[in-house]
Amino acid sequence: MTTTVTAPRAPRTSARGSRSRAWLLAAGLLAALALLVLTCGLSVAVGAKSVPLGDVWSAWLHPDDGYTSAVVQSRLSRTALGVLAGAALAVSGAVIQGLTRNPLGDPGLLGVNAGASASVVLVTALSGGTAGRSVWAALPGAVVATVAVYLIGSGGPRGRATPVRLVLAGAAIAAVLTALVQAVTLADTEVFTTYRFWVIGSLAGRPEDTVGLVLPYVLAGLLLAALLTRGLNALALGDETATSLGLNAGRTRALAGASATVLAAASVAAVGPVAFVGLAVPLVVRSFTGSDHRWLLPYCALLGPVLLLAADVVGRVVARPGELMVGVVTAFVGAPFLVVAVRRGRVGL
Amino acid sequence: MTTTSAPARTPEPQEPPRPAGPPDRATGRRTAAAVAVRVNRRAVVVCVGAVLAVLVLALVTLALGRLGITPAELPAVLAGNGSKAQEWVLWSNRAPRIGVAVGAGAAFGVAGAIFQSVTRNPLGSPDVIGLGAGAAAGAAAATLVWPGVLPGPVGALVGAGVAVGLVLLGAGRGVKAPFRMVVVGIAVGAMALAFVQLALARATTEEAQVVAAWLNGSLLSRNGGHVRTIALALVVLLPLALTLTRRLQLVEMGDDAATALGVEPGRTRTLAIAVGVALTAAAVTVCGPVSFIALTAPQIARRLTRSTGPGMVAAACTGSALLVGADLLAQNAPWGVQYPVGVLTALLGGSYLAYLLVREWRKGTA
Repeated sequence: MTTTVTAPRAPRTSARGSRSRAWLLAAGLLAALALLVLTCGLSVAVGAKSVPLGDVWSAWLHPDDGYTSAVVQSRLSRTALGVLAGAALAVSGAVIQGLTRNPLGDPGLLGVNAGASASVVLVTALSGGTAGRSVWAALPGAVVATVAVYLIGSGGPRGRATPVRLVLAGAAIAAVLTALVQAVTLADTEVFTTYRFWVIGSLAGRPEDTVGLVLPYVLAGLLLAALLTRGLNALALGDETATSLGLNAGRTRALAGASATVLAAASVAAVGPVAFVGLAVPLVVRSFTGSDHRWLLPYCALLGPVLLLAADVVGRVVARPGELMVGVVTAFVGAPFLVVAVRRGRVGL
Repeated sequence: MTTTSAPARTPEPQEPPRPAGPPDRATGRRTAAAVAVRVNRRAVVVCVGAVLAVLVLALVTLALGRLGITPAELPAVLAGNGSKAQEWVLWSNRAPRIGVAVGAGAAFGVAGAIFQSVTRNPLGSPDVIGLGAGAAAGAAAATLVWPGVLPGPVGALVGAGVAVGLVLLGAGRGVKAPFRMVVVGIAVGAMALAFVQLALARATTEEAQVVAAWLNGSLLSRNGGHVRTIALALVVLLPLALTLTRRLQLVEMGDDAATALGVEPGRTRTLAIAVGVALTAAAVTVCGPVSFIALTAPQIARRLTRSTGPGMVAAACTGSALLVGADLLAQNAPWGVQYPVGVLTALLGGSYLAYLLVREWRKGTA
């Protein structure tokens, strides 16, 4: 725990300055919401069959039996999945970063997504049917991977889980679990055809009811994270200071870890393992909100979907007539942020 | 294996490095220094043991499975007196596969030894810093995206070179910050794999299936051409690696010490990285990015020989034994499916990586 992300901003000297900053950030939040709405519109409009934005609106409000309406309906469920998964991933990343005081926190990077997908694939292979689609199928693997990465990362008697250790442990765990997923999918052709695109992270071709299956877990995770904002802010000051401020550091950690794990598992159940969204979005957001989680988390919840949906739209455009899975695009766009985070020099490297 | 049961011989004490050969009066000094080789007896025992292990594993690989050729039948088939089926099994099926496994294993092992020596860290090996993924991306670019511009192996070489360049550039402090290199390498590896996926998405289904199998690291349906490629690469690159061994050992002691002893650290490192990149590219070309051989082989070799410094020969032999052994397991495992060998090495090697991390941190070196 040698490193802190950034110390929370010192309180402004004048109450007026702090109030005007709050107004600015609130206005920014509205702008982010507008951006999200725009991206959702694009996500419905762009694709193999382009639909003008005006038609999107009318087809949504007055669905008929026409072709355009069918296209819009199919893209709507895809967009809804993107919104859920994007918010879950970005908030999960932000919570992990706050919890471990580690700018390299990301459920994909730390192997949580790999654990969740391994358990989804295993459940599907063992029980068959639709059991693997529930969030409960993803949770055990996510929990096991989280605990394993934390134990390996803080290995040794002095037990200091530095950012680099966590990333390396995550890489090792992810390598083993991804190989496990490969082994299962290659052995079982039925599982392979179901999960061929999902194992890379894809919004396409998920069954209609996935949104309904995942929604309660994402909402629960987001709610838990929202309740913990003050606790996370206090944790950033160090365990001793947090305790002296009246915080139960251990309980806050456990709850925050639970929220991050549930969110990651829900996102994996929805769209498969998508990496780097949880890294890149909080990294960018933190540059203008500072590390006050009361602003950081709402921004992440709005801008995570923007990144994921934009990546999905790009994936539909670059590989015409085929489609590029969203996980591929986020890896290409998000990986440089890892380099940026390392170069900022706050990770003890 | 055989090596551990070898007669316990006290290893030769590691002498401080010094110019090999007697200090000569006149011009012959350089040649003498290049030819005289200090041989560590324990290392020789380990290498012989590893070579024996490779032979035994190869014989077992030949004998097992459908249409296997038992060691008793082998001389007849080799002499050309076997049945048609046996000839086919040996010459167009199993021999190339074993040959590629031996060659690629050696190449991965030496590349790993070089990179681990240059970065002075076991984690600085090519598969951890995204080099294999880069080579795979280069090969995919050359064969799928822009076919006909470059041959596949050259594409792999370019891809691996670009990956190393990006890692060094991204890390900003060169090889002196191995952990930074590893984290940046994870990013570069992710981008390279994303690029391969893009190439796959644009390819036709048949091409895509072949590449997807190769992408895991697979030794299925190798042919004589693959064996020739890796053999050629080893013939050129192994001697280069061997001549670098001694200098790398000095550079490991620190730049100042190396300079004082007459070795230019910068040039040695550049040369060594170039050789390591070329070896990785060659191995990836013939069998795909099989992961973790480059990480584990030099480490195991170092443990067995109890030596310091990059033991190139030992790493090569250990790498061959590991890959041939992993392929034997992949072909004949009880689960009834033929997995690509890369899946198996990732399962085992990833666990080894986790163990290595815990052990290093216990010692407090990272």
